Amino acid sequence: MVAPSSRCFEDVAVGEPLPTLDIEITMTSLVMYAGATWDFHPYHYDPAYVTKRGMRAPFMDGQMVGAFLARQLMHWGGPDAFVRRLSYRLRAMVYAGERILVSGEITGTAIEAGRPLALCTLNVVKADGTDVVRGAAAAVELARR
Amino acid sequence: MSSRITDELKAWIGREVTYAAPEELGRAAIRYFALATGDGNPLYHDEAIARQSRHGGIVAPPTLVCETNQIYPRPPDLNGYIGHHWELPLQSDRFIRGGNEYEFHQPVRPDDRVTVSWRIVDIYERDTRQGGPLVFVVSEARYTNQRGELLAVNRETNIH
Repeated sequence: MVAPSSRCFEDVAVGEPLPTLDIEITMTSLVMYAGATWDFHPYHYDPAYVTKRGMRAPFMDGQMVGAFLARQLMHWGGPDAFVRRLSYRLRAMVYAGERILVSGEITGTAIEAGRPLALCTLNVVKADGTDVVRGAAAAVELARR
Repeated sequence: MSSRITDELKAWIGREVTYAAPEELGRAAIRYFALATGDGNPLYHDEAIARQSRHGGIVAPPTLVCETNQIYPRPPDLNGYIGHHWELPLQSDRFIRGGNEYEFHQPVRPDDRVTVSWRIVDIYERDTRQGGPLVFVVSEARYTNQRGELLAVNRETNIH
């Protein structure tokens, strides 16, 4: 595998879009995430358990959204990048069988404690248009040229 | 409407609990998390590429440390849940994750042995038209490694 190149702080433009992620949340992906995080709550895999409690299907752990946002930021920044801050608020649950779209853009740059940062805002929307996360804020430390 | 925040519940603000992992995080846990999130970034599985990066070796995806339920020394509860939670004096069958604020201080590495301290920073109530008052519990987790270095801070809001 050839090493992907890192994005340099000097080359970042405000308004630059982040690559979009289109993710299908399946029962399989929920189970994989539950396993990887040692979270065996039936919320994430047992249709009978959740429908008895008024929810239409097993649903995604809220922090799985955080993992996708970080995935997108690290992918964009390349191997020398490091996410310094990330915050988001959940507006809707995501159920097995739904599709989400993660998008974002660069809103600014900053140097904090000598660290070159790209500031970003990100959104997560379902295929039907429902907002899952609107305006998540992130700061990614980048390589210098 | 009467408040659901009793003096007994309020006394939980500032409470703290610490858990230490019984073993290192390990490369397999990192690769499993990356696999589960569809994340093919070579930093998480390819030692040769990761070594050339400024991280100098394989690191964990940023949010993994905030999802390390394996560090809690408990058997699963009736729902199969083993992670940290507060036994709050609060009548509720509701538990909704409101959101997270993460600060990442340094990448977590396979040989890191993680300790986490959870603290309740705030408990407050908001009225809703339909469901009655909702109680918001804000907790902060601080993750450190075996050298006492701060890895990450995770501030999360849960709604009851």
